Amino acid sequence: MAEYSPLVMPPALRELSRKASIVGVGETDYQADYRAQRKPPEGYEPPSTEGLATLAFERALADSGLARGDIDGLTGSFTYGGPPTAELAALLGVKPRWNIANGNIMAGPLPVVCAAIAEGKADCVAMVYAVNSRSSGRVFGGATHPAGSDTESTGYGTPPSYYYYHPWGWSSQAAHWAMTFAHYSMKYGVREEDLGAVAQQVRLHASRNPGAVMQTPFTIEEYMASRYIVRPLHLLDICLVNDGAVCLIVRRADMARDMAKVPVDVAGWGEAKIRHSKLDQMVRQQLRPQLEEAGGQAFAMAGLSQADVGHFEGYDAGSIHLINQIEGYGFVGQGEGVAFCQAGEMDLTGRLPSNTEGGNMSASYMHGWSQVAETVRQLRHEAGARQVAGLQFAMTSLAQTDQAHPILYARGEK
Amino acid sequence: MAEKRPPRTLGPGHDQFWEWCGKGELRLQKCKACGGINWPVRQSCEFCGTAEFVWEAMSGRGKVVSWCSFHQDYYGGAMLRPYDCILVELDEGVLFLSNPHGFAIEEITLGMEVAVQFIACEDDGGAFRLPVFGRV
Repeated sequence: MAEYSPLVMPPALRELSRKASIVGVGETDYQADYRAQRKPPEGYEPPSTEGLATLAFERALADSGLARGDIDGLTGSFTYGGPPTAELAALLGVKPRWNIANGNIMAGPLPVVCAAIAEGKADCVAMVYAVNSRSSGRVFGGATHPAGSDTESTGYGTPPSYYYYHPWGWSSQAAHWAMTFAHYSMKYGVREEDLGAVAQQVRLHASRNPGAVMQTPFTIEEYMASRYIVRPLHLLDICLVNDGAVCLIVRRADMARDMAKVPVDVAGWGEAKIRHSKLDQMVRQQLRPQLEEAGGQAFAMAGLSQADVGHFEGYDAGSIHLINQIEGYGFVGQGEGVAFCQAGEMDLTGRLPSNTEGGNMSASYMHGWSQVAETVRQLRHEAGARQVAGLQFAMTSLAQTDQAHPILYARGEK
Repeated sequence: MAEKRPPRTLGPGHDQFWEWCGKGELRLQKCKACGGINWPVRQSCEFCGTAEFVWEAMSGRGKVVSWCSFHQDYYGGAMLRPYDCILVELDEGVLFLSNPHGFAIEEITLGMEVAVQFIACEDDGGAFRLPVFGRV
């Protein structure tokens, strides 16, 4: 496993707002890779992290219309290991003056790059992320985090709730979301078949995305008939495990105005982590303290409010988690999120179209990076059959069981 | 007969917790400096950083905050599925993850009162008594 680089998140300051723009985006073929791994053709070789990263980079570079020599910054973000920085630069054929390992999940890498650009470390940064979760046989639960995993001494890494409760049979991320929803269900009277509307909506979005891993819409009856993973959550409430890569090309905002595509300005960000009892904040408080805190930072930095946001890309590791986010960031009231979804408000014509590419549950699990790629396409108005009409501002959110990282974006001027 | 369970976290502090369980007592670390109750076991207080604790006896009573039921096999068949977990808020305010004992998840309502019991279990570290919760 790669060394975890402890990121220092840049502060959510107004002076850092809109200093950098996303001008290129590239993704790998999530669906084709997933299908090949589920049913390998003869002689099949699973994709390498390097191969995935290269493909995403080449696509992002082509998308941006820039030349290879324009790239003067490079960051690598590899959740389960990848090439060191110098090797990555050689692999991609670029000569960056700024080249760092940049964490892994979308909990900091983009703000770090925007701040570096504002500081003059680079003018045009290729941010490469790749993960081979499926082909490496990664599992999520049980012995993934063995008893005795120590985090107290390092302050980050494995939260105790991933390993400490093994004697009671407690394990897995899915169990966290199951317990979060069971509490929500009792508190607000929201039933399993109500929650089904969330996974159903995200799948409906995915059916309009030819690259999504899962594209077949389902009924609530089919949802209820799908097996439980950890009750009350069904298979369809839980995210995918797949391989892929995403590349974002981020350029100094004043250099991003005469480009092939409409630039997408990074307008604001925030960060909040759980301080003490994770089970309390996650289950009893439905992650609200850190979502409110981080969301407040991002809105203030961007000079925007919830009413400005026309498209939301949340971290749907589990269906209930997406609801926690739209409630915690203040788009709807506490306990109202599922009904909001049932009323179609998260569909393309609703008040907050959400996870329009199909999210982590139906499109691809890229640790928050594919949500950023979708946001760029939406704000450029090039999302085709799933385009949100007239979109100007959007929000992504990485939120896990213990942290929240929202980012706000504005459609720039070409 | 002792139930086979996935492994406990053992070592300094952890061992004392399980020793108290072996005597049929639910005791958690109370910080000598700030009085905060720490769970799971820690080497230094999560609230103030002090490394001195007393093993404070809990009332053993609490209220159910949430539940879940495992259908997925995370332990290579070691647990007979489906099995249930509950999250209990102890009278002392600590959230304690455990198993329901003698009642079904269908009976659970938010805030339902429960009390601790200890059942005979074993893992790779040997025999131990596991704190679980039954209806009051």
